[in-house]
Amino acid sequence: MVRREVNPPADGWSLTLPAGLWADLSRHLFTDGAGHGAVILAEHVRGPRGPRLLGRRLILAGDGVDYVEGTTGHHALRAEFVRDAAVLARDEGLAYLAVHNHYGTTTVGFSIVDLSSHERGYPALRQITRQLVGAVVFTSQAAAGDLWLPDGTRTTLAEVVVPDNNVLRLQPRPAEPAARDPEYDRQSRLFGDRGQETLRQLHVAVVGLGGVGSVVVELLARLGVGHLVLIDADHAARTNLPRLIAARHDDVGRPKTSLAARNARQANPDVMLTLIQQEVQTPRARDALAYCDWIFLAADTDAARHWVNEAVHQHLIPATQIGVKIPVDADGTLGQIHAVTRPITPDGGCLWCNELIDATELAIDMLPDAERERARYVAGVPAPSVIALNTLAAAEAVNHFMLAVTNLHHDDTGQAAVLHRPRSRDRDLQNPRRNPLCPTCSRCRQRT
Amino acid sequence: MTTPTPAVQAAIDAVRDDFAGHPVEVVPDGAGGAYVVVDGVHLGGQYTPPTTWLGFQINAAYPRSDVYPHYIGRIARHDGGSLGEAVTDTEWRGRPALQLSRRSNHWNPAVDNAALKAEKVITWFAAK
Ligand SMILES: [Zn+2]
Ligand SMILES: [Zn+2]
Repeated sequence: MVRREVNPPADGWSLTLPAGLWADLSRHLFTDGAGHGAVILAEHVRGPRGPRLLGRRLILAGDGVDYVEGTTGHHALRAEFVRDAAVLARDEGLAYLAVHNHYGTTTVGFSIVDLSSHERGYPALRQITRQLVGAVVFTSQAAAGDLWLPDGTRTTLAEVVVPDNNVLRLQPRPAEPAARDPEYDRQSRLFGDRGQETLRQLHVAVVGLGGVGSVVVELLARLGVGHLVLIDADHAARTNLPRLIAARHDDVGRPKTSLAARNARQANPDVMLTLIQQEVQTPRARDALAYCDWIFLAADTDAARHWVNEAVHQHLIPATQIGVKIPVDADGTLGQIHAVTRPITPDGGCLWCNELIDATELAIDMLPDAERERARYVAGVPAPSVIALNTLAAAEAVNHFMLAVTNLHHDDTGQAAVLHRPRSRDRDLQNPRRNPLCPTCSRCRQRT
Repeated sequence: MTTPTPAVQAAIDAVRDDFAGHPVEVVPDGAGGAYVVVDGVHLGGQYTPPTTWLGFQINAAYPRSDVYPHYIGRIARHDGGSLGEAVTDTEWRGRPALQLSRRSNHWNPAVDNAALKAEKVITWFAAK
């Protein structure tokens, strides 16, 4: 197999497209080798490496109707089509991006004709919309953008990101070869030097640093992930010690964030850490999630599930939910053990669609501490929890992430969860359910 | 300090409309939600006093989140009888209170809202 070189994340402006939007756009642009056009309307947010544009709407231009041959023999979007899309951009407060395709593979750029049409049209369009306007030109493996900002400046797009089973990073040309770090020699032989460099550049959040999360942090740090955001409000208890990676007996009472940070630094002294010793529903933790490239959800509260699910759909950041269920009946009978690793992607079924969040339990989680205890007046029995089972799910999740960001999955697309059933020694894939009317995830599927 | 989200603000406005004529006190919870107290809510002649305050939090996850639980002043039955299930003595934001625990098992953000839920809780308690 010829390796497809992955592009490490690039600093600067980026455009993120939900997988379904990219699938519709690719089908439109790349089917017949001819030129096609469209408009993407995008939300503007801040991100870890620069401003991010989040693709919210795709408006396809009909061939020969909306995308027509101009006087120069060059194709262009028809004026009425541009006007309608620009009015929508203005009304919804979204950036306007005209899109077309060029011939080619891993390299792309605007032609002189493209650039002079931007210079003729975009100053006026920017005035009409009072939003960012610009253009993106694609091949199936590359993208370049010319952005005209509301403040009168002009800049380029560093990359287009499609978070799916493989996280595609389309850039104007293949990234420069990365230097090989001898420490990571053995894993670079799998990821490639650019894959290893990708891991170094990523910002990854781990929500919940207990039995599952502490293992995830250890694996991410050993892999060389460069920036970790560690979120947990708890302190280590004596009953946690058998499941906290590398914990010592004198760690009882220490914040779980400190233990995870210590392990991460032991694995990689250069790792950048953001420690948030608060519950994920606090504004600071919610904000931090928005600055990540990937989120591991290793906490089992309804609030953690809700706010991570929100980050996925509001900011188009992929996440992985990890959990182990060990059901025990009232009479002590042990049921099937499930170790679940569930990708949550902007275009997949969300945790609400899959009935994995309870609206009332969420309300209780959102209460202040004292009221929460009183409101949950039925004391729960602690569920069984075992390090080896947690590690099974944690390793599955980190393997999925690592192959996704280095583009080593066989398939670029797919959002199936993996279910391990250790007692019967089988493993299944399970596709997420999608509710077309879901107010949380349907906004990632707006097509016009 | 995070101010209430637009959805929470809209819910507060709807509560004010629904309980027009009642004083409504709103305190932001600092995380995008708010505590709401509606005064002078009539709960029925079987109680003493028959009228008290009703309080609840509309949190930052609303309208995906249920509004739960609800709190009222510590009232008692005239006949000295028990207040029954899902009513417990508690304290809420420094006030002696009764906690009313009414879950919405099929909470649907497209249909359910904070004002409607408050009405339902009052109706349920008044019918006890
Ligand atoms: Zn062109
Ligand atoms: Zn959904």
